[in-house]
Amino acid sequence: MIKIDIFKNKFLLYGLFCFVLFLFPLIVDDPFYLNKMSTYICFGLLAVSLSLSWGYTGILNLGNAVFFGLGSYCMAMSLKLKTDSIHTGSGGLPDFMVWNNVTELPWFWEPFYSLSFGIFAGIAVPVILAIILGYFIFGGRAAGVYVAIITLAAMIVVYLIILDQQAYTGGDNGITDLSTLKLGNLEFDAYGSSAYYLIVSVMTFVLFLTLVITKSRAGLIFQAIRDDENRVRFLGYNVGVYKTASLCISAGIGGVAGMLYTIVMEFASPTFMSISLSLSVVIWCAVGGRQSIFGSFVGALVITSGQGFLSESETFLHTWTLIMGMVFILSVLFLPKGLAGIVDQKRK
Amino acid sequence: MDFFISQFISGLSITSILLMIALGLAIIYGTTGVINMAHGEFVMIGAYTSWFFQTQLGMGLIASIIPIFIITAAMGFLIERLIIRHLYNRLLDTILATWGIGVILQQLIRLTVGSELKYLKIPTYMAESMSLFGQQVSIYRVFIFLFAIAIFILAWFLIFKTKFGMKLRAVTQNKDMASCFGINSGMVYSSTFALGTGLAALAGAFVAPLKSISPDMGTNYIIDAFMVVVLGGVESLIGTAASSFIVGGTSSLIASFSNDTLAKALVLVLTIIILRIKPEGLFTRKSRS
Repeated sequence: MIKIDIFKNKFLLYGLFCFVLFLFPLIVDDPFYLNKMSTYICFGLLAVSLSLSWGYTGILNLGNAVFFGLGSYCMAMSLKLKTDSIHTGSGGLPDFMVWNNVTELPWFWEPFYSLSFGIFAGIAVPVILAIILGYFIFGGRAAGVYVAIITLAAMIVVYLIILDQQAYTGGDNGITDLSTLKLGNLEFDAYGSSAYYLIVSVMTFVLFLTLVITKSRAGLIFQAIRDDENRVRFLGYNVGVYKTASLCISAGIGGVAGMLYTIVMEFASPTFMSISLSLSVVIWCAVGGRQSIFGSFVGALVITSGQGFLSESETFLHTWTLIMGMVFILSVLFLPKGLAGIVDQKRK
Repeated sequence: MDFFISQFISGLSITSILLMIALGLAIIYGTTGVINMAHGEFVMIGAYTSWFFQTQLGMGLIASIIPIFIITAAMGFLIERLIIRHLYNRLLDTILATWGIGVILQQLIRLTVGSELKYLKIPTYMAESMSLFGQQVSIYRVFIFLFAIAIFILAWFLIFKTKFGMKLRAVTQNKDMASCFGINSGMVYSSTFALGTGLAALAGAFVAPLKSISPDMGTNYIIDAFMVVVLGGVESLIGTAASSFIVGGTSSLIASFSNDTLAKALVLVLTIIILRIKPEGLFTRKSRS
């Protein structure tokens, strides 16, 4: 008899997992839960993006949510310009601009009239930020802790700028009242199964893409850099370029996750690039297993759905955050490879 | 010209606060290699302890300085003993652990004291203004500046002129060798952590009357303090002081022309560019270690 170890054959494991998620709407046919599940998957993708840069390349990016937030804002800007003119000011000016006495659409909003540009920007803007950060941080061979600090600081600065430029970004309120996404004849209603299928399809693509990347030559070099950067350098590889590349892929996936999140949430908010979201992503990866793409994804799915299932009162939320902080510290202390590490050990 | 002098003096008090925070951060990082992500939360704890002592127990600001330092230093000591100690061979993970500690401290304050803002008054005898270079300057701001200078001199004395300081420098240079000579390096690490957190809390106690007190107030200061450490390197106390003045001065200068956000953004850009050119920080010599 042939015994197939699905944890060993990752293609099979991923395939099975994606298949189950595709079947999910057949089991749970409730718009509310479908919408919830979609948001958890978006967070799962964000965890995948961090797992690639942190778990595989050793870049502890504490500002990972900035990519998510930027992607989300790009999508929101495009969808905002698609809303019916009832919701907006004269000449299709978004409502919050009218409230802030802006008379003309700013130049950087113009190209977002095209949805394809919005989708392109949702990936390109985070990647450009990653290239700039990578050039300066990795080019100078900054120590690991400095990388963590600079990425965190960069995110906070982007966050503050978005809060500050209220007239152009919606400030604290973010960008609300978005139209639904329409691609050709397809309309992706946030509470319908169409949006859910869109998200699961993108998820399947991203999961297999990361699987291919981690199995490729570049993926092996990423892991070698994580384990011993200098040795890779002595072998003649340009470590800075590989690290920047890893950060860019991570940024692109983060941007995609952010765009999808805006589609299901129907708004973009500065909290999408807040310290607390960044911290949450780090916790999902740490608990699920940072060195495992699948572990990180499942970690995010389990923790966010756990949080969603329990009530949403404010006191509860504070207690939940407190508990998550403790779980985080315990897993860092005793389970550095997360839950995925336990699974690995059991199989040996 | 008057405008510049008044801007300079008000910038100076914020810079003094920054110096106290960054000093603690740099001492901990320089000795143990740990970037304390919970440092901002200790600033917050310091502010809340000060608020508690003054409004609930009726103590004065000056009288509560020493108790605040002792309480928060003890917390730092305990945290090092319980958690950080086990992670010295995984330095990047200390960032995670201290980040988790920061979250826990914030949530504990939210659940016990509450999320709403708290305010503290400047002590009446320091609320007046005095005349300095033809400018009306609040006595409290001058006091903060003098206190920060005193703390800095005290820290310098502690590190370079005492037996503890000699042990600390020995452990910083080579931990294993220091241990071979009978220095209890674990004790030095714990004490360093206690000292650093105590300094952060003092900064919090002094900044509280100038700004409002809230559970997430630490975030506002910690980024600037990080920039100071990245810019200054950790080789010398003078480097930390100098880069505090660069970061604090630049921020308040830019902020006087535009706003705080732009100031923070420009300081970050500046830091990133300098990091590209001098990854070890501005005030370090090239070494072979």
